[in-house]
Amino acid sequence: MLQAENTLFTLVMLLYFSAMILYFAFVALKKDPIVKVAMGLQGLGLVLHTAALVLRGLAAGRLPLTNQYEFATAFAWGLCLVSLIFMLRFTFPLLGAFSAPVTFLIIGYAAMQSKEIHNLMPALQSNWLGFHVSTAIIAYGAFGVSFVLGIIFLLRDKMKAQGFLDEHIPSREKLDIIAYRSVSLGLLFLSFTIITGAIWAERAWGSYWSWDPKETWSLVTWLVYAVYLHLRLRKGWQGKAAAIFAVAGFVCVMFTYIGVNTFLPGVHSYK
Amino acid sequence: MKKVWKFLSSMPFAIGLLVALSAVCALSSLITQGQTYEWYAGAYGPRLGALILALGLDDAFHSWWFWVLTGVLCGNLLLCNLVRLRPLINRTRGFYSADGLPETQDAAPVVHRPKEVFAALSMTPRETERQGQRILFASKNGLGLWGPWVCHLGILLLVVGFSLGQALHREYVVYGVKGQTKPIGDTGYALTIDDFQVKLRADDTVEQYEAAVTVFPQGEAGRGQSARLSVNHPASLFGMKLYQNSTGWAAALTVSKEGQVLEEQILCAGEGLQVQAVPGLVVYLNAFYPDFYLRPGYGPMTLSGALNNPAYLYSIYFQDAMVGMDYWQMEEGPIKVNDYEFTFHDPESYTLLEIKKDKFAWLTLMGGILVLLGLGLCFYVQPVQLWAREQADGTWMVYGKSPKGGPLFTERLLQATEKAKES
Repeated sequence: MLQAENTLFTLVMLLYFSAMILYFAFVALKKDPIVKVAMGLQGLGLVLHTAALVLRGLAAGRLPLTNQYEFATAFAWGLCLVSLIFMLRFTFPLLGAFSAPVTFLIIGYAAMQSKEIHNLMPALQSNWLGFHVSTAIIAYGAFGVSFVLGIIFLLRDKMKAQGFLDEHIPSREKLDIIAYRSVSLGLLFLSFTIITGAIWAERAWGSYWSWDPKETWSLVTWLVYAVYLHLRLRKGWQGKAAAIFAVAGFVCVMFTYIGVNTFLPGVHSYK
Repeated sequence: MKKVWKFLSSMPFAIGLLVALSAVCALSSLITQGQTYEWYAGAYGPRLGALILALGLDDAFHSWWFWVLTGVLCGNLLLCNLVRLRPLINRTRGFYSADGLPETQDAAPVVHRPKEVFAALSMTPRETERQGQRILFASKNGLGLWGPWVCHLGILLLVVGFSLGQALHREYVVYGVKGQTKPIGDTGYALTIDDFQVKLRADDTVEQYEAAVTVFPQGEAGRGQSARLSVNHPASLFGMKLYQNSTGWAAALTVSKEGQVLEEQILCAGEGLQVQAVPGLVVYLNAFYPDFYLRPGYGPMTLSGALNNPAYLYSIYFQDAMVGMDYWQMEEGPIKVNDYEFTFHDPESYTLLEIKKDKFAWLTLMGGILVLLGLGLCFYVQPVQLWAREQADGTWMVYGKSPKGGPLFTERLLQATEKAKES
């Protein structure tokens, strides 16, 4: 089963890579049919990615969300899913040209991690794990989309001269509200992540909040996006300033995910 | 004074607070917490080390200024919610009334069958009249107006519940081996460890730590309540919550002289025995290795959790001065100090239980639930108001309002009116 998961994972990487190249080709050649193929490949990649995650879950006998490899691949899955939904929902296929590279980078990071399946330590044997990590995947995916939307917003004015891009990129107001929708989705799910994590921590460690670096940075991320939401309500702070905060928020997300694990080890392991 | 209140409940002040809090949290997480001046001086230099201690950054999340910041945030949330309550109630009342019909609208679409526009937006209009003109009106999702207010209330309860819990909770630690009874701090209760097992898998990894305990009021063993607990499965007894927190090795230490046992005590790793017969003499069990292996160049380690080759690391102090420290195994015979003999034996796992009383955890949980509810209302219950006003030529002008919808709502409304025109 793990062999099959491995084969699927490699296939998924190839599909995501091909989709990314096609999105770039769409921008370069300005031919609409290309983007449909790109979206098709990304969709197929997402289906196979789901199958790979299911296979790994069956092989491990648990939800495959407990180590760096499993979370990274699930993160890429979440980002791919949310970006596809936003592309279809807001008829904005060019979003793929910006989100596909991020998805590919994250699945590339997953490929560099150990794929071994280990037994779970007692603290991780909890039903709350599923709620906690799966909500984090959607939150991170949504924040990934808001990040690329922020980048697109900031680049939009520089692309003004090009009719093709202007035609395929929504107006500033619409971009702003699409980014707001993705931040909303992310913040709601991040709140679920933090609260389910707190409930789980209380059961596992007897303390629902202990200012562990991972907890603290989740809070920092939450606060940064809260600032984003408040800024959008202020006249003169919509648009560019909000887009900068959307980008900064994702930097916090990535630091919470990779930076904290690398530089600030805490009590996110049973002692 | 009014200006001050207004500022304290204002959004710019709230944004400033959120930025300050996030900056403080981020900075504090980058500084190792709870260290001494020597540690900080070694890591960051003497000046920065002193500054860290002076600013309380060594225990930032419990420092006075962090409490002040949290208190100011609570004040801002409270004021914000109080100030906005009445306008919000009025706005909610007005939301369901057709009176809010905009006087002018640049791009009010004109249609012949207005009810189709309402249907496209899943709304059922009611008819009314204004200045002799027929008006169709419907509104939905008014609850969404309350999202930010509910969310702010949730954050307030969450912060207050957490702060009260932090300040007033009681926390105790009891550790020991199977059969031992120990008092639970100053609660007036005692705890007996009826059983403790470390369940291992075939590959020697830990599957679960399981304990069985009985808690009873001290001196009233007959009124005891028993429970089993393991990691992720705490138990509640006499209003206290018990957690299986940690484990380690313990062993019995026998002190004898000329073949006669003077005393015996179970020591958990790290504990020492004050020898009663020799004041000032203390024997410590520093560590225990069940499957001892001394790897050259690396030091002691255990190859597995099984008792294949048990070894004890002990130290002996006399009048606070160390007089001996070594590894010891049973086959070496007793450890001798003058006429006294010391023997470690019967190693077993001990359990470390954490016992907590937090009367405000429910408040924090309630706050968390309200935050989720508030965010859900904010983001996914979008208030929409729709009017259609009949014109003299029999056509209808359609007006829509969705405070959170922005251009997406305008787009949707235009699509609905285009559809109505086509039909």
